[in-house]
Parts: sequence; structure tokens; C-alpha cells
Amino acid sequence: MKAAPFTYHRPGSLDDAVDLLGSLGTEVKVISGGQSLVPLMNLRAVRPEHLVDVGALDALHGVSRRDDGTIVIGALTTYREVELSETIAAACPVLAEAARWIGHEPIRTRGTVGGNLAHADPAAELPAIMVLLDAEIVAVSSRGTRVVPATAFLLSFFTTALEPDEILTEIRIPPPASDSGWGFAEVSRRPGDLALVGAAALVERETDGEEQRIGSARVVTFGVSPTPTRAIAAEALAAGRQPGSQLWNEMAAAAVSDLEPFGDLHASAAYRAHVARALVARVLAEAVGRWPS
Amino acid sequence: MALMTAEIEIAFTVNGIPRVVRVEPRRTLADVLRNDLELTGTKLGCEHGVCGACAVLLDGEPIRSCLLFAAQIPGRAVTTVEGIAAPDGELHPVQEGFWESTSFQCGFCAAGFTVVGAALVDRGGEPTDEEIRHVLSGNLCRCTGYASIVEGVRAGLRIAAERADA
Amino acid sequence: MTDVTGTRVKRAEDHRLVTGRSRFADDVTMPNLLHAAFVRSPYAHARIDAIDTAPALAMPGVEAVFTGADLAAAMEPLVLQPVEGLLAPAFYPLATDRARFHGEPIVMVIASSRAAAEDAAEAVVMELEPLPTVVDAEEAIAPDAPLLFAECGTNEMYRNVSTYGDTAAAFAKADRVITERFVQHRYAQQPLEAHGCVSTFDPSSGELTHQSSHQGPHMLRLGLSFLLRLPLHNVRVLCGDVGGSFGSKGHWQREEIAAAFAAIHLGRSVKWIADRSESLHAGGQTREETVDVEAAVLDDGTLLGLRVKLSLDQGAYACVPYPTIVFPLLARALMPSAYRITDFDFEFVVACTNKAPYLAYRGPWEIETWVRERTLDVIAATLGIDPVEIRRKNLWDDSELPRPLTTGAATLRDLTVRECLDEAVAAVGYEAFRDEQAAARENGRYLGIGFSCFIEPAPQPIFGIGFDFVRTETASAQLEPDGSLTIFTSQAPHGQGHETTIAQVCADRIGLPMDKVRVVHGDTRLSPFTNLGTGASRAATMATGAALGATQIIKDRVLRIAGHLLGCDPDDLVIENGIVRSSANAEAQIPLMHVALVAYTTPFTLPDDFETGLRTTYTFDHEGGWAQACHCCVVDVDIATGKVAIERYIVAENCGKPIHPAIVDGQITGGVAQGIGAVLLERSAYDGDGQYLAGTFMDYLLPTALDVPFVEIVHIVHETDDPIPWRGVGEGGGIGSPAALTNAIEDALRPFGAAVREQHLPPFRILELAGVIE
Repeated sequence: MKAAPFTYHRPGSLDDAVDLLGSLGTEVKVISGGQSLVPLMNLRAVRPEHLVDVGALDALHGVSRRDDGTIVIGALTTYREVELSETIAAACPVLAEAARWIGHEPIRTRGTVGGNLAHADPAAELPAIMVLLDAEIVAVSSRGTRVVPATAFLLSFFTTALEPDEILTEIRIPPPASDSGWGFAEVSRRPGDLALVGAAALVERETDGEEQRIGSARVVTFGVSPTPTRAIAAEALAAGRQPGSQLWNEMAAAAVSDLEPFGDLHASAAYRAHVARALVARVLAEAVGRWPS
Repeated sequence: MALMTAEIEIAFTVNGIPRVVRVEPRRTLADVLRNDLELTGTKLGCEHGVCGACAVLLDGEPIRSCLLFAAQIPGRAVTTVEGIAAPDGELHPVQEGFWESTSFQCGFCAAGFTVVGAALVDRGGEPTDEEIRHVLSGNLCRCTGYASIVEGVRAGLRIAAERADA
Repeated sequence: MTDVTGTRVKRAEDHRLVTGRSRFADDVTMPNLLHAAFVRSPYAHARIDAIDTAPALAMPGVEAVFTGADLAAAMEPLVLQPVEGLLAPAFYPLATDRARFHGEPIVMVIASSRAAAEDAAEAVVMELEPLPTVVDAEEAIAPDAPLLFAECGTNEMYRNVSTYGDTAAAFAKADRVITERFVQHRYAQQPLEAHGCVSTFDPSSGELTHQSSHQGPHMLRLGLSFLLRLPLHNVRVLCGDVGGSFGSKGHWQREEIAAAFAAIHLGRSVKWIADRSESLHAGGQTREETVDVEAAVLDDGTLLGLRVKLSLDQGAYACVPYPTIVFPLLARALMPSAYRITDFDFEFVVACTNKAPYLAYRGPWEIETWVRERTLDVIAATLGIDPVEIRRKNLWDDSELPRPLTTGAATLRDLTVRECLDEAVAAVGYEAFRDEQAAARENGRYLGIGFSCFIEPAPQPIFGIGFDFVRTETASAQLEPDGSLTIFTSQAPHGQGHETTIAQVCADRIGLPMDKVRVVHGDTRLSPFTNLGTGASRAATMATGAALGATQIIKDRVLRIAGHLLGCDPDDLVIENGIVRSSANAEAQIPLMHVALVAYTTPFTLPDDFETGLRTTYTFDHEGGWAQACHCCVVDVDIATGKVAIERYIVAENCGKPIHPAIVDGQITGGVAQGIGAVLLERSAYDGDGQYLAGTFMDYLLPTALDVPFVEIVHIVHETDDPIPWRGVGEGGGIGSPAALTNAIEDALRPFGAAVREQHLPPFRILELAGVIE
């Protein structure tokens, strides 16, 4: 299985990359880590005429925290760097946890956050977390810079709002709520495989005297629908409520009723719906379990 | 219709030796190592990044050499299975450990496990069997059922510690 | 010097494997090497109306393009030896007028690189007319099914009915008859190294040198000679390092024959290496069998008789050169196993469908163990009898053996299946487990336990199945001028460690350290003929017996010569560490090397009646024996997700004495891993139109280090005076494991009334069986 021929480009700067993408037409692919793209190219399922390697763009690498608390992740940051980043562990640990579930270490050493989001596999972990965290995706082209909310960026199976001449440069994660906990769960055929079903939650606490209630909850499922899906109806049930399994079950039922799960070789639609429901309840309980004491 | 493209020149280091190759950009690192540099120790089991037989170290970290084009790593340092033993031929502790433990049967997976295992042993520490299996789960073996390979890594850790003490 | 046989010596193979000096097929290169790539059928069934190869020929680097018509004009078709009643239509390595499975090779492109060959393959234009497909064996033999081979008039390739004892009488006595259908799905051998070869034809000598990843070099040599119309003495097959096979490399693989054809017609070296996608589509699949069982039982659990109907889905084409019917014939022979089943009917049908060919897989009769052991558990559950007790009730007692197999031709003797069962029961702590299981159920945790008992021919040369062609084994031994020993084995190892195990036994016999014994294999010019190669769990008995026989002849000659040189009685002489010494006279000693040098350089100084040649060939015969085991599996089924965790896996086994304990353990553990893979992960899935679905390792899932538990192995070894006390163990791990695991899963799901009658149990299926989802 050898890739179809292509012309290779390795721009030395973001400006060069942008110029290049503006001039090469539509039969072009950007490669960063290649962990999702190269298998498809080896299978000849994807066969760009031009491959633009952004690996030399050091400026797109790294994790930083702005003064206002926004976490900025350069598109070329690897999964392994996300997994190990102290900044991310402090600000949005659910992202670090999700990264740990991606494949195996050799994949995480090469694969990049930008590549993962641009690939938009419905069973992938990072796009789901970006949706959970209300992240923004920054895309640059010769026409300028766009900032796209994650939910508007991820359109369908392997389809994003990224134009052929745009490069994804960074992801911005709004400052996290201080008094909150997170939960993450995934079921896959084998450890390291893409998810059959996954869920993640962020639950903010509201303290009213002695009572602890839910301030707000966010829940996302992935692997079930063409894109990761925020369980909006479920989230609406949570504000001001007492945490507990009754609420979790209500929310899980609401979350699943909004989904149109697909079936494939690995799991039926009924399975995905059933397990999504169980995982939503599980991650909500985990999130509350992580409320700071 | 696919037409071959012009070759490009790529320079990187392999097992400590600087190399320059002129290849079509679609050549993966695995293919360049095996065919252009005649280092056939690295194996191809799937070419879609699942089996791990193609493992090499890139600047000391295990990666899948079937999943990148050689053009992507100018100036980087690659270590293949041929470079795991010392230049004088002394085996790496994990190679000794695999040999001592009869870790392999057909051996097609051995190079990949040797690279990944060497990195794991060099990292040191006292990993549990579960932790070892976690790292090894990125490489497939069809013959052994893995217990002997885990035992080999354990032996490698022991041998590394013995050498450090000596 | 202590014996190395029976110890965990370092393997002779391993240094090159861990240092990257191994040489598998794709590591072989030749000057001016050409590469083959194939254009494959996108349809499961299609008429090939036209092929235009001109666009491919025009592409850079392309040397030649071949079609089925090119091959048909210049070679013999792939055809089985005639077997009465077996339909085996001939075919060529490339499809000619029809493609019959998704991925069937139609056109072969030869180019300067694999990439260039693949580029050109895309340029070939084919006019294909899709035809109706049939992808189910039962549907294939129903009236009006689309026919794969018009000349056959049917998709039923073979049918056989055999009866043993008197099932009518047995069933008349029964308290009840338990009727079940068991479905074993299609999966695949998938060694980590796929098929591959480098085939070189030298026009000046007329010799074809064919380097191959294969387990039967002589079988392949015969095929290349016959099919490609080359004199046999001009064909040489070389097998170097072979990256696993499990039965998938023991036949004539179409693309390999085609690559050799190209080499001959171009007078060049041609390499073909199956990539993973090719291997999954067309490298062979296996195990797809459906069995209907009627078991006549008494309410006390006595099994009175069995009526069995087996349907095997062979895919579109027969496996060549040995017929697919060998597998159900073996299943028939082994199904009664070590149990008291003497009234037994067995009917089987082989059907062709629009799928890849069914090839042998580790213990290719495994269906008999799965069906029998599942049936025993179903009977036990129905009657309220403990599954261990039902096995104890129905296994032959030692006092009842030896006796012939119910199906005749082999003898059940020296079995220790009861002991294996007892050891497994003890090792798992059975009583305590049942208590733990009950307590866990109260807490919504579903633990289960499953057993399976089986015997494995290890080897059994005589089987009464009509294919007794592996009765003997031949080896050669040569003492070198420097006193080292070379053994030429007919084995073709692909993980079994024969370079080590044969060296262990021969080193001990000849009195040399192991590193002075070299085992040569894989070169048909050097290795003795066998029409099988490595397989059928024969080597431990047959290969070592042959090698030892040859070694002993050499040793006897050497001792006679040494006795003459030392003036000693040869009967007093021993060889230790390469020195021949007299036990009667401590000063009488001579290095083996000196004896060898005399024999090689000055044989005329020895008495005329001395045999001075230090190379000999020996053919070994042995009645064979059985290996046996009991597998015991404990699972924890997560009812929220359908995931199955294997908490413990125990194998209590008897394969005679071990030559190398770690090699024995490795064979067992590896086989168990494959059974776990089959049940929980692996399926060669086709859709209703015959489109193959599991074409990458993302969809065909092999077990990883986190999917296979540590397998606890209890070894039962009895003393014996058989000079060849070692038995095969290569296949057993794969034979017993699907049964033990599926028995455990059904046991875990008993509170839900789940009936496990299929072998593939991914998480969604577990939840369906438990009634948790639709």
C-alpha cells in the first residue's frame, strides 16, 4: 500500500504556508503529525496532488495561558504534549485525560491537536472536548483570520468548516469555571482504539449556604453521531438541581433522546444509544465527585 | 492518472550516521530505511499505523515509521532496531532480556518490540506488569500471547539495573 | 556436561531477531528486482467482459502486465487431485472469465517499484458486469442460488454421511434429545507477516529460485514445477525467516504462483509482498462452519449418542493442493474425543460462496471441540448438572482404554484428560469460585466459568480419513570436518523454534555443546522431502525422532572409528563436550574433530568394512500419540457495556515431555490468544452483497497485550520409556479456547437466560444476548 504521488511542500513560515495554500487550488492537504492522514494516503483513500507539510512552523507549537485565563494551544502541539502539559492539567484537566485515551504512545508522540480537529473523526476524543469546553478554532488564510466556535467548526463525519486554503493555527479555550469538576468515559473495542461511545462532562457547583447544587452542567457525547454532540436538553435539566443518580438518569435519557446513533461493524445503533446513556450518567457522577473539597 | 513526481533530497541521521537520500516525497520513512538505506530490520506489518512492527525512535521517542514521509524529518535523528545494541555489539538490556526469556516465536514483531522495549527500559522506574502491558499494547504479536514479551521486558529492567550497579 | 533437552536454553534464532538481522521475504532483495501488484475485483461476483492493459503498460517503470488469459495459455490450472464426489473446478492464479470474490486477483502488473506497480494497476481498465451473489452456505445450496461455477451445476462441492454404532438405538433409549444449532463465524489466520515471495528465473540455467514465506517448501516446489511446467530439478524453494502462518501458508497461493510465472516469462526477479489490505481480503480466511447437533441424553447426564450435521463455507475457490474436506473429516474423527460417544452420525456439506478461500487454521478441526464442549454445557444446564460433573461422567475411564477411536483407524491410549480436568478444577479453586460467583450476582456483577476438554493428534499419522501422507519423517545428519554437527530437517519453522529444539536433542545425543549443532531448514536443495512441511503438531515427535535417528547412525560410526583409533571397545566409549572418551580407561580419549578428520581425509587407513561417510539420512516412523488439555476460563461480563474481562485463564495440559518449556508455554499461550481474538474481536465480515468489510487492522481487530491475560499453565508429565517422549502442542491452545471462553460467557449471563450459540461475541452482541438491548 503505497501512497499515490504528490508534490511536497514544506513552508518555513506561516506566511509562506498561507501563500502556498492560496495558490495550490483544492487538491491539497495539509500534513502535521500525519497519524490520521498517512494511513488514508497509504490506502489511497485520500490522494492530494499537493501535500503541504506545516511541521516546520515552530510558531504553531506550544501551550500557553493568557492573562485572562484563556488557554491557547498551538495547532502543532502533540497529543503527548497535551497529556503532559502542566498548564492544561491545571486549567482543563479533562483535556489531558482525553489525550491519554488517544491510540498509543507512538501515535501521541506525532499526532497533533490541529490535525485531530481538522480530521474530525466522530469517534475522536479531542473534538468532543473542544465542544465541551466551548473552544474556538483559529484558521488563517490569505483572506485573513477566522475564529470559529468548535460546534460550528465540526460539521459532520470527517467534515469541518476549514476551507482548502486555510490552516488551523491554534485553539483557544475559555477560562474554566473555578468551582467545577470533570468526568470522562470511553468504551472502545480495545484500549487505544477509537471510541465506540464516549462522554465527557463539566459540572459547576453553586453553593447556597450548606447546600451544594449544580450551577450549570455541560455534557458531550462522541462516537455516537456524525459530530460530538452537546446534550443541550439534558444540560437544561441540571441548573439549580441537587446532584444525584435520579438527576443523572433523567439527564442521560434526555441526552440520548437527542441523538441519532449510527451502527457499524463494531457496534449497533442500539448499543451506542444504550451505552451513551450509561456513560452520560457516569461522567456526571464523576464530575460531581471531583468537586473541590 | 498517477504520475511519479520528482525526487527530493532529504538529510537525516540514522543510528548516529548522517544520511542523505534522493527519493520521491511519497516514500515513507519505513520504506526509505528498508529500501534506500538497506536497513531491513524495521518491518512492515500493516502500513496503517496499528501493528507497531515499524517502530523506530525519532529523537529517542518511539514512533511508527510507516506513518510519516521521510521528507517530514530533515535533520532529525532516527534509531532503528539495528542501532539499539551498542556499536561494539553488546546487546541492550531489553535485547538480552528478550533472549533470556524466550520472548519471541516467529520474530516478525521482534524489531518493533525491541525498539519500544528499549525505550521503556531506558525510562527506568519500577513499572508494574499492567503498566508494561499498557506500553506494549501498541505493538501486535500474533504468536506469543504477550506473556513472554512482558517477561522479557522485566528481565531487561533487571539487567539494566544490574549493569548500573556493576 | 548436563543435558540441555528439557531446559530453557536461549534460542538459536533470537539474536538475529532482536538485532534486526532477520531475513523475511520482504527483506530479500535481488539485482534488478521487479515488483508485482494486482488489480483486484471490486465485486463479489462479476463477469469479466474486457480488460485493457495498454494504459498501464504506458506508465513509467512498468515492465509487463499479465491477465488470466496470458497465464491460461502457458501454465497448468490450479486443480486438486481427484477425490471421488468432490467438485473442484480448475482455476488460474488470475481470474479468467469471472471474478468470484471481492479482492480476487484479475490483473498482475510488474514494475520497477511497488509504488509504480500500484500506480499502473489503477490505470488498468476492466469492464465488469456484476452478477448475483451468494454469501451464505445454506443459501448457496438451496435451489435457484446463483451458481459460482456453471460447469458444476451446483454450489455444493461435497457431501458425506457417515454413521458409527447405532444412533437409532441410542436415541430410542434417551430421556430427552437436546437439539441446537451452533454458528462459528469466519475469521482469519492473519500472521503478522503476510504472504510474500521473491521469485527469480535464470534463463541461462533454466532454474527458478523461489524465496517464500511458506510452511511447506517441498509442497510449494512441487506446485511450481507442475503448474509452471518446469522440470522439478530446475526448481528450488527457499524459506528463510517466516513470520508466522498458522496454516495460511501451507498451500499454493495464487499471487505467488503468478509472480513466479512473471519471473519465468521475463527472465527476472519478481517480488510480491501482500500488503495488509490484500492479506485481509484475499490471503485466506477460515473456520466458517455451522453445526446442527442432536444429543441423546439420559436425565442423569449420560450422553448416549450424537447426530451432527456440519456445513462448511469454503469461499469461492478450493484450497489447493489439499482439499478443504480434510478439515471436516478431521472434525468427524475427533468429535467423540475422549468421551464415551460410540453411537455417532456425522454428515457434512462443503459449499462454495462468493468469499475468500477457506484455508487451514491452527487445529483446523477446532469446530468439533467448540460444538461438543458447548453442547455438554447446554446439556448440563438443561439437566441441572454441574458442568465439571457432566464431563467426569462421560469421559472414558483409564480402565476402558486403549480402544479405537469411534470413527476408527487411530487408537485412544495413554490419555490423561481426566487428570487435566482435575488439575484445572483444583487450580481455579472451583468450589470457592461458585461461592464468589453467587455473591457477585447479588451485587450486580456477572462472573462466569467455562471448561473445555479436548485431545489433539500430536501426531496421529493414521486417521482413516484417506490422507495418510504424513506417516513418516526424514532428516539428514552430517558431522563436519571440525567435529560440529549439522542437521538437515524437513521442517519449515515459522515460530516453533526448531533451530533450537532439534539442536537440543541432537546435541545431547551426539555429546556436543548446543552451539556446535546447527539445524538447516527451508532450502529444498538441502532439506529432505516432505509433502506437508511444518504443521499438524508433528515436529516434536517426528522431526526430533528423525534427527535423532540420523544422529545416532553418525554417532555409531564415529564411536567405531574412535574405538579403532584408541584401541578401545566402542561400547565403552562416550562423547562429552566433543571429546570421545573411554569409561574403562581414563587416558583413552580423542576429540570428535580428530575422528572426523580421519574419516574425511584418510578413510583408507581404516578397516575396509568400516562405514566412514559422516553424512546420513534416516526415515523415522512412529505410531504417534495424543496431546490433551483442559482449558478453564473465568470471566467478568460488564453488563453496562458488554465488555468481557478475562479474570483467569488456566490450561492444564499434557504434551509428553517438553523439549523447551518456554517454547511449549509460548505455543499454548499464543493459541489461547487466538481463541480470545476469535470470540471477542475478530471477524472476517462480509455484507449481504459479498463486499468484504474488515479490510484494515482498524476493522479486523487482533488482540493486544491488554486483551490477553496471563495464561496459567499446569504441566502434566508422566514418565515413559518411549525414547521419543515429546509430543506436539502447537495447535491445542487454539482448539480449546473458543469453547472455554464461550462457556464462561454463557455461565456469566445465566441470570439473563442468554443462550450462546455463536462464537463471535462483541460487546453489542453480549448485550443483545442478555436482553439488555434489541
